[in-house]
Amino acid sequence: MAQRAESEFTLDTASELASAERSTEIRGRSPWFLAWRRLRRNWVALGSLCVFFAIVIACLLAPVYAKHVAHTGPNAQHVLEQITVNGESRQVVSSGGYIDKKSGKPCVISGPECTLISAIPIGPQWFSAGGRFVLGADAIGRDVAVRLLYGGRTSLFVGIVSSAICTLLAIVLALLAGYFGGSTDFVITRFFDLFFAFPVVLLGIALGAALAVNGLHWGPIQLEGSNIWIPTLIISYVLIPYVGRPLRGQVLSLREKEFIEASVAQGARPWRIMFVELLPNIASSVLVFFTLIIANNIVLESALSFLGAGVQPPTASWGTMIADGQQLIVTRPWLALAPGIAIVLTVLSLNVFGDGLRDALDPRAKVKIEH
Amino acid sequence: MTRRNRWKMFFPIAAFAVALTLVAAGCGGGGSKSSSTTSSSGGGSTTASGGKTFPNFRLAYDTGIDYLDPALSYTQEGWEIMWNVYLPLIGYKHVAGPDGATIVPYLAQDLPKVTDGGKTYTLTLRKGVKYSDGTPVKASDFAVAIERDFKVDSPGVGFFGNIVGADTFSKNPKSGHISGITTNDKTGEITIKLNAPQGDFTNILATMFAAPVPADSPAKDASTNPLPSTGPYMIQSYKPNKQAIVVRNPNFDAALYNGNVPSGNPDKMTIDIVGDDTVALQRVISGQDDYDYHQIPTDRLATTQQKYPDQIKVYTPANTYYFFMNNRVAPFDNLKVRQAVNYAINRDALVRIYGGLAQPTENVLPPTYPSYKKHDLYPYNLAKAKKLIAESGQKGASVTVWNHDRGNDPKATAYLTDVLNSIGLKAKEKIINSGVYWSTVGNQATKAQIGFADWFQDYPHPLDWIDVMLNGDRITQTHNNNYANYDNATVNAKIADLKQEPTLTDSVNSQWATLDDTIIKDAPWAAFLNRQFTDFFNEDMDLSCYVNHVLYVFDFALICKK
Repeated sequence: MAQRAESEFTLDTASELASAERSTEIRGRSPWFLAWRRLRRNWVALGSLCVFFAIVIACLLAPVYAKHVAHTGPNAQHVLEQITVNGESRQVVSSGGYIDKKSGKPCVISGPECTLISAIPIGPQWFSAGGRFVLGADAIGRDVAVRLLYGGRTSLFVGIVSSAICTLLAIVLALLAGYFGGSTDFVITRFFDLFFAFPVVLLGIALGAALAVNGLHWGPIQLEGSNIWIPTLIISYVLIPYVGRPLRGQVLSLREKEFIEASVAQGARPWRIMFVELLPNIASSVLVFFTLIIANNIVLESALSFLGAGVQPPTASWGTMIADGQQLIVTRPWLALAPGIAIVLTVLSLNVFGDGLRDALDPRAKVKIEH
Repeated sequence: MTRRNRWKMFFPIAAFAVALTLVAAGCGGGGSKSSSTTSSSGGGSTTASGGKTFPNFRLAYDTGIDYLDPALSYTQEGWEIMWNVYLPLIGYKHVAGPDGATIVPYLAQDLPKVTDGGKTYTLTLRKGVKYSDGTPVKASDFAVAIERDFKVDSPGVGFFGNIVGADTFSKNPKSGHISGITTNDKTGEITIKLNAPQGDFTNILATMFAAPVPADSPAKDASTNPLPSTGPYMIQSYKPNKQAIVVRNPNFDAALYNGNVPSGNPDKMTIDIVGDDTVALQRVISGQDDYDYHQIPTDRLATTQQKYPDQIKVYTPANTYYFFMNNRVAPFDNLKVRQAVNYAINRDALVRIYGGLAQPTENVLPPTYPSYKKHDLYPYNLAKAKKLIAESGQKGASVTVWNHDRGNDPKATAYLTDVLNSIGLKAKEKIINSGVYWSTVGNQATKAQIGFADWFQDYPHPLDWIDVMLNGDRITQTHNNNYANYDNATVNAKIADLKQEPTLTDSVNSQWATLDDTIIKDAPWAAFLNRQFTDFFNEDMDLSCYVNHVLYVFDFALICKK
């Protein structure tokens, strides 16, 4: 019986060998892959991301909730309406003034049988009113739960869009300043310094108050004072240096690296060096900044709206809802608590995720928003 | 006329105030200067007996003081302090209830003698009256005060425009004098000549703007360096947004005034300016202050009433809250649209939005006026409102609803916006800072379509309402008080006629009521409520001395301690 010689090489042995080699080789890993591997081991960060996505989805579904559950819109008032709660009829906003202690009817002339009360909106009904006024009503009988979801859409829109605009402009300015240096750097850095000279909230209030009255009319940009783009643009604008300055520092450092010198030596044009060579090298920081600044901008939007310099009524935002609820904080604390909790959850989830992302992308980095 | 600040110019509920007048009869003046005083005729005593004085009355005030200068202040907060500091020639009785609208002589010996068909007013200064610095008050100081109003660009100059020569003087106030005012320092006689009879001129002479000031008073704001006073008190110091100290005027003699001006109970008033209404309430509850000027926060009203029922006073000043509709701007140049808005708003809902402390109304004039006759022209009817909008052809018209950002008022706008959207208009809100709101909507260039407004009286007379806010002949390009730009020739002519009437007889009041009805049928406004307010005291105060005046509201001078 013929036997195969040991030295005989066949196709099968070649593939086996290759397979054996593959199983022992150290594969090349991209930084993004390594970051993802580190991130997916961070359950707290991923859990926070899930919470954030859950909030976003809930807010996106606001019209569905309003139409099919609450049966009302975010700005629809129901001051004089009555709703049925566990079979009992209740006023959405109670009557106020001097009320007869026994009958509950208004007193014509005040006397010992009358007591002075305020008109107070209904509190949280959870699900005892068939989905209506789950978190109660505000002073003009609007459904707080509906406004909370619509307010979330506003706050998230302002937070995310302003962060995108801010980060984009900060990247461009940081690349220009860091790469060209000299007078370009001087002008851009002084521009950053100018903004650093003003506390962010004060600058936001000043711009917000002025633009809320007159709107923004600048060339092709024609925005009414109540337009949601006004707080969005203001928040983008005031935070540019807080992102731009640290990125500029990174660009300055990268600018001196050999691979940049090599690109210059090969005749690469500045735009190519900035956007093809430098930008990918600061991308991880940009991503972390972007995540953290969304949370920051949501808080700033809420602060400005609370102070009347952000989102204008009747548009709901979490900040305006807290301002509305402040006047009834003793008797109807949910009016302010609900949007407050929403802000805390959103900001906390974004910050925790942002920290996890930073640890995953570059554990040594000290990227944070400070103002 | 310059724009007025429509802050809290108050008027009590008649029945409530009558009761207060009765209890006020047992207390009043008796300050350290006057040994004895007498009751004023009709209505309660103002300066009854002594023994009610106490060292310091501490007030948690709000931030509404604009000036503490009689020529410049145009807020309730300013006037309430200065009522007992700067005395005009004539003024209001220091009593609660409707009788408080009675004008009595202050620095003048008698009420003005009106001659020449209502065009000449003659008064004589009391003898022996001194300023707080000891210098005698002269007849010419009245002319000084009126001319100073023009020099400092006082918000009150519009009241004096009918005086002969005032128009010429206003063009160059740095030189010359108002020819229509003649005075004689020796006899104390003061003569004022008017271009035309003016039914409310006596009330105008009773305003703070007409209070005599020394001839050397600077032609600039003297709030922080207060002018010498003529009343029972003088302003010792004023730090804007912090504190004002008011003390007794050492040269005031209540005996000169036949009981018309009380000498006051507190020896001193410490007025702390507290921005937050909850903080102010807490300061009074804790005993840090004696009186809370602020409205009790809606959220705290029920619990405060429950715990301290005897320390709260609720009153209804003369006020009207309304939505103006600009008759010159579409779609409100259409009567059907304006009527639709009146039918669409539910005034009971708006009362609840204001916490329930209000009464619904459709009238221009407040219910405390004898000329008030309740309308029932626009019962809530949303279907009818929608029909009117459809008939007007304005369905889908864009509308901007204006308001300022202060207090509960923006909620009324949110309500109105929702209502306008529900009847087929396309409405959105425009909320601006309260500091610029009135001048913005009062500027024709703004073309404000519809918005919130309220009015508190300068003096108790229908002219202060209908003439100021609804006379088409008084529409101005800027600082316009007629936000609706309502201009009805018949109404304008009737106002001119009634302006000639020197007194408010039953017949005249009836004509004002008819005019109110005519105007509301044209629907330049959607009037919606008359608001009520609260005064809150700590338990040391004796509220049997509480007097709420028709114009100046709570009379600080008459309060006493237990």
